Amino acid sequence: MSIRIERPEPHGGRLIERVVTDSAAGKKLAKSAAAVFDIKPTVDEKGVPVRNVYREIMSVCYGFFSPVEGSMKEAELERVLKERRLLNEWIFPYPILFDVSEEDHKKLGVTSGDRLLLRLKGKPFAILDIEEIYRINPEEVATRTFGTPENNPEVVKEPFDKKHPGWVIYKSMNPVIYAGKYKIINEPKLIPPFDRFWYPPKKCREEFDRRGWRTVINHQTRNVPHVGHEHLMKNAAYTGDSEPCHGILVNAVIGVKRKGDYPDEAIVEGHEAVNLYGYIKPERHLVTILLWDMRYGNPLESLLHGIVRQNMGCTHHMFGRDHAAVGEYYDMYATQILWGKGVPSFGFDKPVNEVPYGLKIRPQNMAEFWYCPKCGEIAYSGNCNHKERQKFSGSFIRGMVSEGVFPPPVIFRPEVYKVAVKWWKVYGYPFVTPKYLMEREKELEVDLPDMDV
Amino acid sequence: MAKYIVVLLDEGRLKKLEGSGLEKKVEKLFGGALNAFNVELSDEDAQRILDEFATARVDSRGAITDVPVAFNRVVFEEIAKTKSLGSEVMQGVFARLAEIKEMAAKESEYLPPPDIEV
Repeated sequence: MSIRIERPEPHGGRLIERVVTDSAAGKKLAKSAAAVFDIKPTVDEKGVPVRNVYREIMSVCYGFFSPVEGSMKEAELERVLKERRLLNEWIFPYPILFDVSEEDHKKLGVTSGDRLLLRLKGKPFAILDIEEIYRINPEEVATRTFGTPENNPEVVKEPFDKKHPGWVIYKSMNPVIYAGKYKIINEPKLIPPFDRFWYPPKKCREEFDRRGWRTVINHQTRNVPHVGHEHLMKNAAYTGDSEPCHGILVNAVIGVKRKGDYPDEAIVEGHEAVNLYGYIKPERHLVTILLWDMRYGNPLESLLHGIVRQNMGCTHHMFGRDHAAVGEYYDMYATQILWGKGVPSFGFDKPVNEVPYGLKIRPQNMAEFWYCPKCGEIAYSGNCNHKERQKFSGSFIRGMVSEGVFPPPVIFRPEVYKVAVKWWKVYGYPFVTPKYLMEREKELEVDLPDMDV
Repeated sequence: MAKYIVVLLDEGRLKKLEGSGLEKKVEKLFGGALNAFNVELSDEDAQRILDEFATARVDSRGAITDVPVAFNRVVFEEIAKTKSLGSEVMQGVFARLAEIKEMAAKESEYLPPPDIEV
């Protein structure tokens, strides 16, 4: 029996690539559109951006969300909400929707069969070939997306409400849905600092080949890394097959985040500092991004993370407690329950990599790291049996940062902390604020070439 | 899970506590790299903090975090004033809620960055 682990094929069997790189061909497609729509951010009741559908279009068209190819039809939305599966059977956690207001729908005057040209920052960006138009009740979709304590008692502990940023995203959507496939017809250029972290799945797999990485473990992040994260990465990477994983892929989620998270620029450069300053060798550590407005859906988000990172070519994915969570809506170990035994009420009576049309990436479920004064080192909860535990709490560290206390190196590497301060100086604040979100919404993460249509 | 607030103590704050008798309650964290008080909260006080500040949350340790910097500052001032870590600290803090919220409103868009080379 071979214990050798090979790179998994993409979810759905092939990578989706829906990007036209030839500008003449792109222009031709743009000209064939029946109507033009300028992409707008989804905003909450206070007018603060909570999502921009362009990030979903990028992630679909560059293959991060393979096998999803566009905005879901009504039957597919229903199946995702009921069983977390696409109509082609492959598992998928979230509705992916292109929504417009009744007013915009009236103005556009499109019907199924029409092609819609989508502009971003005033320039042609993508097309949507409309196959179906239907309506949703956004609040109902929001609640069904994340689950309820009654319907999903295995993992949901509290009803979702307006304090949950993911629920707010779906609740804030417009009621008219255009379903159909997207195609990017004018390839955007990522702007600094995001450009050097842009590794869509095809390019990422090529980079793994170039580096000679067969086994790669992914680290999901929406944080500037503290030393606890660093230890999670280093220790989880001891898994692999006959040797530890060859590579550690950091995949940072870039998009709208909750107030109090770090700015995206600090997140990517903070992780980069971990390898630039030798805490993990750059030859073994690669920082990349995913464009996605986080839904903070703990087990469901972990499913999306598994899909994305399998598509990027990872063999393993580390999951900690409270994975991609906010508040106490889900069980602290909901992600590990999903990957360890399944969540029947979400449609999985077995772990999500043991069900038909499931995932091939392997979970590495990790518990906690803390500082143990008795051990005199950062200890793993599965090892250390001493009573006194000083936990790495991201929010505790954020409090220390806000108060202007220079964190000791056992908590934050000084070079990483300086990155956080660098972006603090740029934005006047160490964390995400509504002002930051509005400024970022104007710039986004991309620029588009001129395209005269 | 008991809930509490962690009050970080730098050199300036430790100096203000000299002779208060609170020095022996200082917790040494992360191998002595950080000094702090853990101020235990009643369930009612913890809930009130969560209700008053939209960003406040309870972290995995049971500590209430993501409160305004002004809140943390006032908690320390009340500790120094009452020379206690008891319930009178939070009584004093709640009596100054309007002041805290006024300061918090100013800090919600701007916090001065530390003066360090980056």
